[in-house]
Amino acid sequence: MEADGAAVLLLRRLNSILDSDPLIDEVGFVHPTQLASLVGSQGGSLAGDVDCKLYCRDHKLGISTDVVVTLYREAKRAFFEAKKKYEAEEGTDSEEMEDDLIRFSRAVVLLSSDFGTAWNSRKMIVSKKGLLTMFMNELQLSELILSYVPKSDQAWSHRRWAIKMISGKSQTLQEILRKESELVEKIAERSKMNYRAWNHRGWLVSFMTREQVLTELNKSKSWAGLHVADNSSFHYRRRLLMRYLKNSCHENEKLPQGPSKEECHLWKEELNWNESLLKKYIGREALWLHRRFLSLCWIRHFSACHSPLPCFSENVTGGPDHFLDQELNLVTSCLVVPDNNFDDFEAQATHSATYTLWLAKQLPRTGGVEFAEKLRENNICSLVHKFCPNISFLEMIADANQSGTQGGN
Amino acid sequence: MEMEMGNSGLAVEKHVQYILSVEKRKDDFVSVVMEHLRLNGAYWGLTTLDLLGKIHAVDVDEVVSWIMACQHESGGFGGNIGHDPHILYTLSAVQVLALFDKIHILDIDKVTNYITKLQNEDGSFSGDMWGEVDTRFSYIAICCLSLLHRLDSINVEKAVDYIVSCKNMDGGFGCTPGGESHAGQIFCCVGALAITGSLDKVDKDLLGWWLCERQVKSGGLNGRPEKLPDVCYSWWVLSSLIMIDRVHWIDKEKLIKFILDCQDTENGGISDRPDDAVDVFHTYFGVAGLSLLEYPGVKPIDPAYALPTDVVNRIFFNG
Repeated sequence: MEADGAAVLLLRRLNSILDSDPLIDEVGFVHPTQLASLVGSQGGSLAGDVDCKLYCRDHKLGISTDVVVTLYREAKRAFFEAKKKYEAEEGTDSEEMEDDLIRFSRAVVLLSSDFGTAWNSRKMIVSKKGLLTMFMNELQLSELILSYVPKSDQAWSHRRWAIKMISGKSQTLQEILRKESELVEKIAERSKMNYRAWNHRGWLVSFMTREQVLTELNKSKSWAGLHVADNSSFHYRRRLLMRYLKNSCHENEKLPQGPSKEECHLWKEELNWNESLLKKYIGREALWLHRRFLSLCWIRHFSACHSPLPCFSENVTGGPDHFLDQELNLVTSCLVVPDNNFDDFEAQATHSATYTLWLAKQLPRTGGVEFAEKLRENNICSLVHKFCPNISFLEMIADANQSGTQGGN
Repeated sequence: MEMEMGNSGLAVEKHVQYILSVEKRKDDFVSVVMEHLRLNGAYWGLTTLDLLGKIHAVDVDEVVSWIMACQHESGGFGGNIGHDPHILYTLSAVQVLALFDKIHILDIDKVTNYITKLQNEDGSFSGDMWGEVDTRFSYIAICCLSLLHRLDSINVEKAVDYIVSCKNMDGGFGCTPGGESHAGQIFCCVGALAITGSLDKVDKDLLGWWLCERQVKSGGLNGRPEKLPDVCYSWWVLSSLIMIDRVHWIDKEKLIKFILDCQDTENGGISDRPDDAVDVFHTYFGVAGLSLLEYPGVKPIDPAYALPTDVVNRIFFNG
C-alpha cells in the first residue's frame, strides 16, 4: 500500500508528541469541533498542519475522531513495512530499524489495543535488549492504554510478560507487585466487574509473600465493602485467603493438628464482616456466594478437627453443628419479606435460602442429611418454592432434600 | 412453529443479509480495528450462515485461499494476512475449513506440530510463543487436534490434569488455577474434558447449579454473578449444561424469547441485549444458542466442537 502524504505527516506528529512527552497518562478520541475549541481556548501544542487533529497538554493527548482511521491505517502500514525490513535484515543489529519498529508499533497499539502482532514486535525487541528501563516503558505504555481500554486482553497479557521478564532481573519485584495491585484497583473503580483486571490482580498472588498476602487482605477490604456487587473483588479475597492457608500448610509441619489460631481468627473475622455486609446491603448475590465459600471452608478446614481448635475456646463458636445452627438463624432472619421494598428483600430471601440448600448439598453425607432435615423443619424448602417459582433446578434440589435423599451425581 | 411465532420468530433472511454485508464492509472504525481477528470473525459469520442453511452464499475458493494466506511458516495461523500466528486463529482456520470440507488441503503435520509445541510441562497450553497460559488455549489445542485426528500428539493426561487444577469450589473453572469461574472459561474446560472423554472429572450437580444461577429474570443468561444477561452466554452456558446433561434445569422458553428479543428485525443481526447495536459475534452466539435449544429452521450444532453436527459427523464418521 502506498503511503499518503497527509497521513505520513499526521503519524510523524503523533510520534513526535509521544516522544516529547513520555508522561502522557490519558488519551481521548475527541470530536473535531470539540478539539478545535480545546485548542482555541487553552493553547496547548498545536499539532496539525492546517487543521488541528492532535492536541497535547498537561500530559493529556487528544486525537480528532475524523483522523483516527487514517492514522491507524498509516501506523499499520508503517509498522508492517518496518517489521518486514527488520525481519529481512535480521542480525544486522540496526538501532534505527529497531527504533522504527518500537515507535510504529506504539502508534498501532494506541489506536487498536488488541493488535497482537504489534505487541509481539515490542516483546521481541525489548527482550533482545534486556534493559530494565525498556521493560518499565512497556508497563507504562500498557497502563496508558488500559486507562481508556480497561478490558484489553493484549495489554494485560503484555504486563504479565513484562513482569515475568523483570522478576528475574530486578530486586524491585515486590514494589512492582504493590503498584500493580493499586493499578487494578484504580481501573476496577472505573470499569466495574472487569474480569481481565481482577484476573491480573489474582495472578500477582502467586508471587506474594505471606506478609504481602495479609497486607493485601487488609488493603482490599474497604474497596470490597464499598463494591458489594463485584464478585471479582470477593473472588480476589478468596484467592488471598486460600493462598494464606496453603502457605501455612507448607510452613506448618504439624498440619495434622489443624489450622493455627491466626488462621481461625482470620476466617472468623471474614465471616463476621460478610455477615455485617449481608445485613447492610440487602439482596446481593456476590455477598451470599462469598459466604458459601467461607462457610464450606470453615466446615471443612476448621470445624472438622477432632481436637478442640484454639479459636473455639474464645467462645466464638463450637463445632460444625453449632456453626450450622448459627447459619440457620442468620438465614431465618433474612427470610422476612416486608411489603414495601419487595424486590431487594425477595432477592435476599432467595439468596439466603439457596445458600442453605447449597451448603446442605456440599456437606459430607451424614451432616448433609441432618442439615437438610433442619432445613425442612424450618420450612426452607417451601420458601424456595415461594420465592423462586420459576427456578426449576432449585425445586428439584429442594424436593430431593425434602425427601431426605441427596440428589447425588 | 416459525409461523406461529409470527413477527417474533427468527429473522433468518435478514441475518443472512447482515452477515454477508459485514463481510463487504471494511471502512468504518469498528471493521478496521477488528481486522487483526478477522479469522475469528470469519468463523462466527460462516458458522452462522451454515446453521441457517446458507453457507453456499459465499465463494468457497475465495475464503479458502484467504485462510491459507493467513498461515505462518510455523504452521499456526494469524488473525489476518501478515499477522503473527496464535492458537486462537489456528482453531478458527481449522473450523472454517471443516465447514467447507477442506481440512485435507492442510499440511496436517505442520499444524499439529505448531499446537503440540505450545504444550507446557504442567500440561497447560500457551497461546503463542510469548507464553501466556489460559484454559481457553487448552480447549483450542484439544479441539483442533481432535478435528485433525491428532489428539495422540500431545500429553492428554497432563492436559486434563491441568484443566482439573483450574476447578473452583463452586464447581466452575477459571483461566488458570485459582482464577474466578467464568461461563466462557467453563465452556472451554468442559468442552476439552468432553472431547477427551474426561467428563467424570466434573462435579455435574455443583457446576450445573452454578450455571443455572446464570439465568436472570428476563430469561437471559449472564456469564458471572451480578452481571447483566448477554446473548453470548446463551452459547457458553447452554453448551456446558448440555455437555454435563443438566440443560433441563433452566427455563428454555424464556431464553428463546430473550434471544429473539435481541434481534434487529429490520436490518438483521443480533445484539448482546434487547435494543443494543448488533455485531457478528452476538449474531453467531444467538443463532448457535437457538440451535442448542432446537429452534426450528436452525441446524443442530455440536456443543463441544462448536460446529454444525453434520460437519462433525462428516469428520468422525465419514472421514
